[in-house]
Amino acid sequence: MSNPDLSANSVVPSSRVTGPRFQTSRRLFSTLEGVFNEEAFFLILSVFIGIFSGLAVVCFRLAIDWMHLALLGPLPQTHSWRLFAVPSLAGLVVALLVLHVFPNIRGSGVNQTKAALYIFNGFIPFRTAIGKFICSAIAIGSGQSLGPEDPSLQIGAGIASALGRQLQISREKLRLMAPVGAAAGLAAAFNAPISAVLFVIEEVIGRWSAGILGSVVLSAVSSVVIVRWFLGSEPLFRIPVTTFKGPAELLAYAVLGIVGGLASVIFAKSIGYLRPRLKRLPRWTQYLQPALAGLLIGFIAFLGAPQVMGAGYDSMDQAMHGQYAWKFLAVLAVLKILATTLSFASGAPGGMFAPTLFVGAMLGGAVGDIEHFFFPHLTGSTGTYVLVGMGVLFAGFLRVPMTSVFMVLEVSGNYEIIVPVIVANTFSYLISRSLQTVPIFDMLTRQDGLILPSLEEEREEAILRVEDAMLPVPATILNSEDYVDANARRVQDSTDSTFLVRMHPSGWNTISRDQLLRLFREGKGEHTLGSVLPPQSLPGLYPDLPLDSALRYVNDYAIVPVVNRANSRKLEGVISRDSVFKRYGSAQTAVEG
Amino acid sequence: MSWRFPKLIPRSAPVILLLLTLAAATGFAAVNHLVARFTANQQARGRKLYQLGLADANAARYDDAIAAFRAALTCDPTNSEYQLWLARALRDSNDPRRLDEAESYLIALWQRSPQDAAVNLALARVAAHRGSIEDATRYYHNAMYGVWNADPDSNRTNARIELIKFLLNQGAFKNAESELIALATSLPPDPASHFRAAQLFAQARDDAGALAQYEEALHLDPSNPAALAGAGQSAYHAGDYAAAQRYLQAAISANPQDASTLQLLASTDLVLRTNPFQSHISDAERNRRMAAAFAQAEKRLTECARQTGVDLNAATPSPMSPLSSLQSRWIATQPDLARLHSPAEADLPDNIMDIVFQIEQQTAAICGQPQGVDLALLLISQKVRTPANE
Repeated sequence: MSNPDLSANSVVPSSRVTGPRFQTSRRLFSTLEGVFNEEAFFLILSVFIGIFSGLAVVCFRLAIDWMHLALLGPLPQTHSWRLFAVPSLAGLVVALLVLHVFPNIRGSGVNQTKAALYIFNGFIPFRTAIGKFICSAIAIGSGQSLGPEDPSLQIGAGIASALGRQLQISREKLRLMAPVGAAAGLAAAFNAPISAVLFVIEEVIGRWSAGILGSVVLSAVSSVVIVRWFLGSEPLFRIPVTTFKGPAELLAYAVLGIVGGLASVIFAKSIGYLRPRLKRLPRWTQYLQPALAGLLIGFIAFLGAPQVMGAGYDSMDQAMHGQYAWKFLAVLAVLKILATTLSFASGAPGGMFAPTLFVGAMLGGAVGDIEHFFFPHLTGSTGTYVLVGMGVLFAGFLRVPMTSVFMVLEVSGNYEIIVPVIVANTFSYLISRSLQTVPIFDMLTRQDGLILPSLEEEREEAILRVEDAMLPVPATILNSEDYVDANARRVQDSTDSTFLVRMHPSGWNTISRDQLLRLFREGKGEHTLGSVLPPQSLPGLYPDLPLDSALRYVNDYAIVPVVNRANSRKLEGVISRDSVFKRYGSAQTAVEG
Repeated sequence: MSWRFPKLIPRSAPVILLLLTLAAATGFAAVNHLVARFTANQQARGRKLYQLGLADANAARYDDAIAAFRAALTCDPTNSEYQLWLARALRDSNDPRRLDEAESYLIALWQRSPQDAAVNLALARVAAHRGSIEDATRYYHNAMYGVWNADPDSNRTNARIELIKFLLNQGAFKNAESELIALATSLPPDPASHFRAAQLFAQARDDAGALAQYEEALHLDPSNPAALAGAGQSAYHAGDYAAAQRYLQAAISANPQDASTLQLLASTDLVLRTNPFQSHISDAERNRRMAAAFAQAEKRLTECARQTGVDLNAATPSPMSPLSSLQSRWIATQPDLARLHSPAEADLPDNIMDIVFQIEQQTAAICGQPQGVDLALLLISQKVRTPANE
């Protein structure tokens, strides 16, 4: 679809074109504009979105680091007054900014991006992106237990949305700008383009579409290139040697999946319980909530667990290299759930990706060490369990099974652990689904009073197919090569009112009993049925097609043939208007029941 | 309130793309400037923390050093020097859980510059902490043949000596010996170096090699009492008692208070006085020494039998007891002593001494290490007899 705004005629006013030099330029411009239909333009724009998002995320990460150094200092401190004072005071500042300057920046940003796609036609105020940048940098840098990934996602989406609006692209494309920017932001934050693309497809867009996929991939890759240019291509963690020797060890990873699934449920339910209750408190308390959350997190740090502050990537790295005993790992997992619940529910802006990875890493390390204690022959290192644990929480808490697998692979760069990751993630995902019906992001949107499509539900919704409404092959099928009188004799004993006609050499048609008898009475008995029927043939449906595709035919034809894909003359059954609506009716009853 | 861009951008694709390119280039330059300034500040901060860490590491405050190096690395994450020092501190903190992390830092550094001798040496030490001979040997060799920033010869020698000590501690004497041979060929003309090499040869139970190195040291410093004593010891253990006597006497002259050397000299003198195969002695003296050795062997046999409760005078000696069997052989050989003077009996001295050596060795195995003349005879037997003869 071409955009009239981008048409060649609006390039340069003709009054300005006076000499041969200008005419050459005009011809060049016209040629260039011919190349840029909206599809091509959108793809190129995706690269720029990636570049701008990458630049913004680089600045965002510098801002967080600078905040952390300025507020908490470079050396880890325990038993210092700063641990209380900094998160509390920063919480107050953040609350003031959120309540008075940057409304709508609470939370992670994933849902806001999704809402932009489904409700606001791709509109994300640029002010929100700026607010997210500033407030998240203060919150995370001061030690709130939140991560930079989700804010990066929203910053990227905000930049893309602003750019799209400014360029006045079509509404359809503008709606897609937010997810394209989101992929760029997330890819830059994670330094992992595949995971970012998958997350956006899996959680934000919810469907695979060739058009949007190309743009999402381009923006993600270009943003990662920018981030690596400035910040280097070092991975988030120093990946230790990971091993997977035998299928028997999968049981150990399955146990990790079960524990991770249960932890995911506790984590999600904690946030789901506390967040609405804090939101319902009087407005003046919202000034204090992030400060109180910061105070409690500072207290946890003061007691000897400063690892729970901030995103916690350094601690994950150390857990991966066996720096903590299993008891401490387990304690850190519990404290991180508590700290993140407090931070997130208090309304401090920041993401849940990093805390999810943190909890998973600590839990994985703890479970791995315990299993090694009881089964010393297990060959998986602590680092392997930590990595798998990250994926487990990702699958169970965020409920993005594909992203969780690829995230671990992309972060570790080791495909040897794919089987343990898949096994553990499957258990975690299934347990989380059975104990926590609504995924965390859907729960948060519902708490905010928004009705967004639940992509997990959509993904797993049973699709009605043609075969579900199909009736058996009719007893009487007429042949276009037979004479009308012979066909009329065949229908005399049948109770059906409409009959299928097998056309020669291919195709199907229908004829009613009345039509056939009328032809016979009109003296056309010596004609073949094919010669007197109208030339158009019936559409053929296949049993595996969605039932929706039958709707466009059942009003026009009394019966529609359902044929075999390998042999279109072989009839599998028929569908009628009644059979289709009856099937939809029973499906609706089942859902309501 | 909503913020919007001013609608200044012309709606033409090439112009838009041109403007976007300009904006991207401007943004790139601005962020580049920002990152450069931030990085410079961080590097300065990292350098301070690194100095703190170095001070802590040198004072063996490894926990503090680790924290400082970690903080330095958060400021400058790709700095190889910080990573190397963090890895060293982790390794030296004597916490086995930290070895993995140390190794992962070092492996990352090694992958970046596999020829770096310092990194290879650090990796070798991690492998040595783990007791992995194969890995340690590989990394020590890499360090020896790698690139050193300063004083490469000395560093290479030290790395090889460290490897040798590790191998000796692990009981891998053969591997140690081959490293020692390589070390001996590359030593500088310095008595201390040769003395150190000789000690390592001695630890590797290569007495001939040790003696050769002590002699090299003495060649450069002839009056070194420690080298004289060491040479005497090595010669003694190598069975060269004449040389041992010479070195030990010189060592005692240089340091008369050295009790262990005195004791060793006494033992050496006794061996030389007792040995019937000693060169430059008369036949009469040889026969006298043989007779004395034969008699001493009988005494030793009787004493050992008493200690172990074996009755050598029983009517039916136990066929299972080697002492009884030896006594039978001793009794059978006793008449041969009278024929020692006969020039026709050329094999007699060997036959007589063979039973003496068997008695000394067997009793040493059953009743423990002897003293005095018996010890001298045992040492002579070890020098004379080869394992095949036994």
